[in-house]
Amino acid sequence: MKSFSLKAGLLVCLLVAGAFRADALDGAVVIANNSVAADNLTADALKDIYTGKTKYWDGGQAIIIGVLPDKTDAALQQACGMDTSSFKTFWQRLAFSGRGQEPKKADDAAALIALVASTKGAIAIVPADAALTGVKKIEVK
Amino acid sequence: MTITADKVEVMSLKNYNRKFALSLTAAIMAAGTASAYEVPLSFFGTNMPPLDFHGFASQGFLYSDNYNYLGNDTKDGSFKFTEAALNVSLNPFPRTRITAQAFTYDVGEAGKYDVVLDYASAEYTFNDEVGIRGGRIRRPQGIYNDIQDVDVARTFVLLPQGMYDARWRDFYVSLDGGEFFGTIPLQRAGSMAYDVYAGFVNPSMDGGLAMQLHNSLPSFIHLDSITPAAMFGGQLWWNTPIDGLRFGASGLILPSSTFVSTIQTPGGPIHPDNANNVVVQQYSAEYLWRGWTFQSEFYFSHLQPAAAGMSDTHIFSWYASAAYRFNKWFEAGSYYTEYYGDTSQSGNSLFYQKDAALSLRFDPTSWWVLKVEGHYIRGTGLLQDNSDNPVQNDNGWFMLAVKTTFSF
Repeated sequence: MKSFSLKAGLLVCLLVAGAFRADALDGAVVIANNSVAADNLTADALKDIYTGKTKYWDGGQAIIIGVLPDKTDAALQQACGMDTSSFKTFWQRLAFSGRGQEPKKADDAAALIALVASTKGAIAIVPADAALTGVKKIEVK
Repeated sequence: MTITADKVEVMSLKNYNRKFALSLTAAIMAAGTASAYEVPLSFFGTNMPPLDFHGFASQGFLYSDNYNYLGNDTKDGSFKFTEAALNVSLNPFPRTRITAQAFTYDVGEAGKYDVVLDYASAEYTFNDEVGIRGGRIRRPQGIYNDIQDVDVARTFVLLPQGMYDARWRDFYVSLDGGEFFGTIPLQRAGSMAYDVYAGFVNPSMDGGLAMQLHNSLPSFIHLDSITPAAMFGGQLWWNTPIDGLRFGASGLILPSSTFVSTIQTPGGPIHPDNANNVVVQQYSAEYLWRGWTFQSEFYFSHLQPAAAGMSDTHIFSWYASAAYRFNKWFEAGSYYTEYYGDTSQSGNSLFYQKDAALSLRFDPTSWWVLKVEGHYIRGTGLLQDNSDNPVQNDNGWFMLAVKTTFSF
């Protein structure tokens, strides 16, 4: 019985530990289209965007998420608590039930930055060493 | 056999629907290599944002070693297992979104490739806490109801059929009406997402509900039509502070679900009262942890016939599933589910179905999915098509399901 309680306690600790995230993204930065007024976001606000709870910026502009599969997976996990496959499935569920707009994919960092630069309301996570042109960097607090 | 002019017209329409559906499927498969399509509206002389297109096409194969389940020929192997959709969305104004989806499906004898307007809605989001959506909408219930025909959004080929019957999508998935939705933050306790909806559902005579009614009525009663039914309900999801863990509860009420039937008597045709009051509850839990997905749901349905002398029916179903994604290509999963079509006869194999499933999913590319799945089943409570299965017993039987999906 004591052993069971110990295991249950450890499991709860593991689960609770999973609820806390580092505020900064490992090896990645958040960028947005220059039309976005915000210069920074809290980690919770970023998570709300990537989990579809927040779909519009304060001014009413629709948020368009850009993704870079395989290149920023760890940062995506940090941002929204989902791995790349779960994230893709999550947004396909929303898109095909008429409840959200699927994130736009890019093949490399330069293409993703170009997509964000040319798409009003766009936001994306890109590698920290990518050259940022025509977009704004969003600080994650 | 005599074929009347009416029948020829219906057959032509069916052929047209089938050709249209196959064309839609082929177009989506051809488009599969792209991630999405955008059509700028600048050529209309507007500054509107672009139209955003997505779609998918699925083709499956079903084989059963004992019963014709989910089709009248699955004992021989059947390819009558198709789904395809094409949707478009647009954000024309601040906080406003318009979206629509065309959908076609065929699962055995249900669906018949009829192309339907699956959803077409406009929504306005006041803030994260409150939004309103109206038109034809997909009805949320549990983890999968509003996405039960979206193969790419899950591990399994067949969802637990006692809860998400592939033949019943015309009745369960969409309704004409509206809903309020939103997510309320609960500070350190996570957040609460809600949907509250009301509207009407108009089941197809080619759908699973019509098939089940037709199958269950004595041969001397003819099913004429199913009356559009009012329905209202809602769903709550508690997104706990633990990443990936959520609990849900949903409810649905159909105060007067009615179908019209005719009994020919020596004194002329009569139309018995076939109104029913239906109340459904569903409870859900889901936990995504690293590559794992754990899910469990419990479903209770209470059917109350309006006609005097008819007894109530209680339906119960549950499942527990686990799936693990090894890498971006492979995922495996398993579930066990039980269905009881009448809980007062829970020991009768004609009314229950217990299913243990094992599934493997392979994603060769981001737009192409292949799945293979085995089911070991006891009971025949969900067969529906008794004429195709004249002998039923409680022996275990096996079903194979294979499916491929292209999406963009």
